[in-house]
Amino acid sequence: MITIFQVAYKNLFRKKVRSLLTMVGIALSAWVLVSLLGFNRGYETSLNRDIDNMGFQLMIMAKGCPYEAATLMLKGGTGLRYMDESIMKDIMKESEVEKITPILMSAVFDPNKGANGGIAGYFGVEPKSFAEMKPFLKFRQGKWFTDTNSFEAVMGFEAAELEQREVGDMILMPEKNVQFKVVGILDRTGTQDDGTVFVPINTLQKIFNRPNEITTIGIKLKKGVDSARLEEKLYKLPDVQIVSLAQVKDTIMKLISTAKVMVLSIAIIAIMIAMVGVVNTILTSVWERFQEIGILKTIGAMPWDVFKLIWMETLMLCAVGGVLGIIFALMLSRVTDIVMRRILPYAPGGGLVLIDLKLIVITLIGILCIGLLSGIYPAWRAGRIRPLEAIRGEAGR
Amino acid sequence: MIKRIILAVFLIFAGYTAVFGAVGCDLNDPDRDVARLFPESTGYKTIYTSIQKKGGEKLLATVETRLGVKFQGIYETIDVPYTIYEIYTNKKKIGYIHGVNQKGQFGGIQVFLVLNLEGTIRGFYIQKMTSQYAGKLRDQKFGKQFIGLTLRDFSAYDVVSGKSSGKVDAIKNPAPEAEADFRAALRATKKNLILMDEFVLSAQPAQSSEGGTK
Repeated sequence: MITIFQVAYKNLFRKKVRSLLTMVGIALSAWVLVSLLGFNRGYETSLNRDIDNMGFQLMIMAKGCPYEAATLMLKGGTGLRYMDESIMKDIMKESEVEKITPILMSAVFDPNKGANGGIAGYFGVEPKSFAEMKPFLKFRQGKWFTDTNSFEAVMGFEAAELEQREVGDMILMPEKNVQFKVVGILDRTGTQDDGTVFVPINTLQKIFNRPNEITTIGIKLKKGVDSARLEEKLYKLPDVQIVSLAQVKDTIMKLISTAKVMVLSIAIIAIMIAMVGVVNTILTSVWERFQEIGILKTIGAMPWDVFKLIWMETLMLCAVGGVLGIIFALMLSRVTDIVMRRILPYAPGGGLVLIDLKLIVITLIGILCIGLLSGIYPAWRAGRIRPLEAIRGEAGR
Repeated sequence: MIKRIILAVFLIFAGYTAVFGAVGCDLNDPDRDVARLFPESTGYKTIYTSIQKKGGEKLLATVETRLGVKFQGIYETIDVPYTIYEIYTNKKKIGYIHGVNQKGQFGGIQVFLVLNLEGTIRGFYIQKMTSQYAGKLRDQKFGKQFIGLTLRDFSAYDVVSGKSSGKVDAIKNPAPEAEADFRAALRATKKNLILMDEFVLSAQPAQSSEGGTK
């Protein structure tokens, strides 16, 4: 016996091009929707990971513009203000603090980068405390420098690749004309560390004539402590700004929220257009089969049977379109990633579009629900067709 | 048709993979740099390739033989992506710009060659170099010494000993203190010419002059 599913399938196949175009419309909407939801999830996950990979939850900087400085730091930029490193002793007295690490960020102008020159940045770090903050950093070659006064350097993966450096090679700090021996090259981390050149903090202080000065202190908190309470206490320190990385995250999320709202609006419009397309396709199909439906009812089909048949057609269109859209979104997620990176003011490392099974199931259910809603009116109209009028072809359509 | 779609999808993913592979050598600002290096150009087309894509191990062996030395270090590898800029005046192809990375004494050196359709050097540009003497080697006077030279001239240049004969031997080092970087620049030039010969010049049957522009 032929099932309602088979009848619906055959009906859709009778107008292949129209059915296909409707499915493509649904697929495109589903693609946009899945990509957007995947981006929402992926961006936040990557941002969280970037912030976690910084190894500390609070940063202390000299008074200036903490949010911008923190964002720059995430992107591998440089800080411009300095503070005395004696402040570290005061910070360590606080009971909430587990570890701290001092950082001195410095930059020099390299006239031999490109046509107009460029900036070369260096991170002065204390290898012991910095490595403890970032235990996830692994070495591709070599190891950390042990002497904070030595002229040695550790390079992030991409920095080493760009400079074609291996352990044992020399690097030159432009402007200052100081040479460093490369003693370690880090594995790729997908964070700002990949493009960073780390040198001993004391050496960098001497080179830039900044004795006992630093730009940043990274603070790792003890588990379960109240970060806000510590921040309040630290604000009493003179001429410093405290940057909570949770605040940095909020700021960045606000920065991209406009872009997200725009894309969401486009997705909603696309879905509405697809819905209208579905209604139009099914309604046209109902009118074309006006007499056929009348005959169906004459031979015993009840209004609910006709309703189910038309509803099933809608559901099949949406299901196939939705699945196609999800496949598009999965296949092109990397391309979406690249495009989003070009558009957004700041993009964290790692994948920006995260599409998992839960998201796929939710989207598919959403698309099917939209399909069911879209199918109600055409199915209802079909169910109301009067058999004799339909056969005579006189109904007021 | 289906094959074309599959190929396009494959290229999208293959191209993206290269982003996370070895580092390539692109012009920092192609629009500005192409206009500066090729003043009569009206447009350009960017082509991405690699030894791996073009011929794999066999091509690598050929390039190494022609260069006279094996590829060195952990960055000079078979999968390094190369960017070739095809230069156009309206729809007429008039030349190429191609760069390579080269290990220098204190950092990576990026050597770009501006070539005509026959592969003759008409411009030499070191985009990036870290050295106290980089200014001298990046100076136009030094670059002018390469104009008019071809792969044939560089064939006799020994990248290991730095010895040569003929026109390459006439290239003077403006910074004798930076002999290592001078030799690196010559090695990069020879490698660049060999790669362009393998990727483009020896592959094209005749000088095609029609194409699109960007």
